[in-house]
Amino acid sequence: MLRRKIGLFALLAGCLAVAIGVWAFIAPSVPAAPFVQGTPTPETAAEAENPTRTPIPNLSISDEYCLGCHGQPGQTFTLENGEPLDLYVPAELHQSSVHGRLGYACVQCHTDVGEYPHPPFKAADRRDVTLQLNAACQRCHSHQFELAQDSVHADAQLAGEREAAVCVDCHTAHEVRRLNDPQTHQLLPDAHTWIPERCALCHNAIYQKYKESVHGAALSQGNLDVPTCIDCHGVHNIEDPRTTYFRLRSPSICAKCHTNPEIMNKYGLSTQVLDTYVADFHGTTTVIFEKQAPDAAINTPVCYDCHGIHDISKTTDPKTGLQMRSNLLARCQECHPDANANFPAAWMSHYIPSRERYSIVYYVDLFYKIFIPLTLGGMGALVLMDITRTLLNRRRKRAAQTAEEAVEAGQPALVEQVRPAPADPTETAETSGTAAQPEAKPQVDLSAEELQVEETSAPASTEDMTTSAPENPTDKEMDASVDSEAKNG
Amino acid sequence: MSAADQPVNQNAAPVRVERVFQRFTLGQRWEHLILILSFTVLFLTGIPQKYRSTEWSQWLLSTPQRVYLVRQIHHIAALLLTAGAIYHLGNALVLLARRRLSSDMFPTLQDVRDAWQMLRYLLFLTREKPAFDKYNFEQKFTYWFLFFGLGIMVISGFILWFPEVVTRFLPGGVVPAAFLAHSNEAVIAAIFIVVWHFFHVHFQRLNLSMFTGKLSEEEMRLYHANEFERLTGEKADLNETKGGSQ
Repeated sequence: MLRRKIGLFALLAGCLAVAIGVWAFIAPSVPAAPFVQGTPTPETAAEAENPTRTPIPNLSISDEYCLGCHGQPGQTFTLENGEPLDLYVPAELHQSSVHGRLGYACVQCHTDVGEYPHPPFKAADRRDVTLQLNAACQRCHSHQFELAQDSVHADAQLAGEREAAVCVDCHTAHEVRRLNDPQTHQLLPDAHTWIPERCALCHNAIYQKYKESVHGAALSQGNLDVPTCIDCHGVHNIEDPRTTYFRLRSPSICAKCHTNPEIMNKYGLSTQVLDTYVADFHGTTTVIFEKQAPDAAINTPVCYDCHGIHDISKTTDPKTGLQMRSNLLARCQECHPDANANFPAAWMSHYIPSRERYSIVYYVDLFYKIFIPLTLGGMGALVLMDITRTLLNRRRKRAAQTAEEAVEAGQPALVEQVRPAPADPTETAETSGTAAQPEAKPQVDLSAEELQVEETSAPASTEDMTTSAPENPTDKEMDASVDSEAKNG
Repeated sequence: MSAADQPVNQNAAPVRVERVFQRFTLGQRWEHLILILSFTVLFLTGIPQKYRSTEWSQWLLSTPQRVYLVRQIHHIAALLLTAGAIYHLGNALVLLARRRLSSDMFPTLQDVRDAWQMLRYLLFLTREKPAFDKYNFEQKFTYWFLFFGLGIMVISGFILWFPEVVTRFLPGGVVPAAFLAHSNEAVIAAIFIVVWHFFHVHFQRLNLSMFTGKLSEEEMRLYHANEFERLTGEKADLNETKGGSQ
């Protein structure tokens, strides 16, 4: 029993010793390189610690071992459709790639083909080979791989469009480039020009437009401020730009750069293009529906409807620039077919109205800025004064009434005589007469002098009134009296 | 008018003769009703379009279909208002051609004097309120303020409704100018109605003559003394010794 246990232990120890020996023999040619040549990216570190995915790469197989066959040109594999698949992989291709320089081995991607003879491989055609092998990227770059699953390309793949881009279509299989600075995570300068070229492999017509555009032309001159494809369309989760949502949110894509003074000041461009767009009702509608109803099909224009989608040109461009009214008119006419040459000026071209530009709008605005506070303030003041006077009159009259009751002056008797219904005076006082009524009552308080003054200013007698012209007799009376006074004076 | 012709029996003290005075014709009252209706609808459908950045507006106009619907209602009400305005102007022109257009509503120098005296009265500089004719300066101001206000609204509204047609004759800049004018004038008109007009016809005194068409003798004596005297040949102020004893 004990002897059997010792035997088993010896066997395991022997196996371990052999394994260590074999590993020590091969080691210098394969691993450890990632830790020497550069800081591993998070993905590689995670991968090194967590090699749970299957199949586990057999790191005992060196690149030299693979290149023993695949380093020789002229080797092919016949696919099911009869197409030959070139099996030649130039050694320097992989070695100069970001993977090769970081020391990754062939078998770290080609995990199931380490041994020779290879396990059986079946592929209908060359595209099928790419699609099958593309899954390898997921092992290390799972985040990017998942993002790409949300892209318009992945949607197209699912819909059976086999040509739709997968990882290696853009990044290549063996000459994968470093695109970001590992420290700053900023796009490397040469990546700016490389990326549009990759997109151009499929989207060449668009690339040709882009190259001629104000952005593309500047890029070819080494300007790194300009956007490339990914700045507008995104990187891995590239969304379908034909959706209403993309359309609705497109102004904010342009605004990323065009409201940034750091970039715009270099070129003397306005950073108020978004604000002025939103201030106009075209823009108002767009930005509201972006928030409210992203699926809403709106008929208002967004930036690219006027400025172009990929062939964006300078507004001052003598051929295509929007400052040429005819170019802008053509854009207007897409939605306003009846528009004529005057019509484009209805859009203020991102200008803020001033005395010089759109002066009519400026002066209308100025007019209302003065007119609104003036009228409303004046009206409010008059109404408040009216209320004050009415309330004060009411209080005075109440005071006068109490005084009357005490004194019993002769004056009120007249009032009652003329107005037969006894309830009448109080009724009018309550409903409507508050403003006019007091003149009768306060007369009690008035001095004799004041009374006389009032009588002279009022129409002298009813006979005069009836004989004089019907319109505004008081007016004429007053005028006459004033005139005569002036003459006398 | 016929009521005014009746002599007043002043000696029979207990008998109270209630006279009413025609102030607005049926047509004028209909015009006012149409104005109320169209103005309210235009206001209710216009304000959410103006204050588009607010929560409630975005809640109300949350889809392009709703914006479209609200605009359609706004346009229909605008047509109603425009029809009312055209009728009003046309009617005035017809009356003018027949030399029967009343001059009551036109501002005169007397209105300036009345306004001045009213201001003095409100500032406690005089105890006397001005005596008014058929339309006082406040009523004329209301009429003409809204006359020009609605003129601006109608013109700018049609510029915004048919920009392609308008720019055939006018420079494009009129469109954003009309947009600003329409937007600002709407607010002024709405506040004007609430602060000025509602105050004068509801709070200061409830004046329903625009709906009934009539004013009582009491109201005539108090608020349209000159007109009352002109129509009846009597003194408006019952407290005046001369007028009362006559």
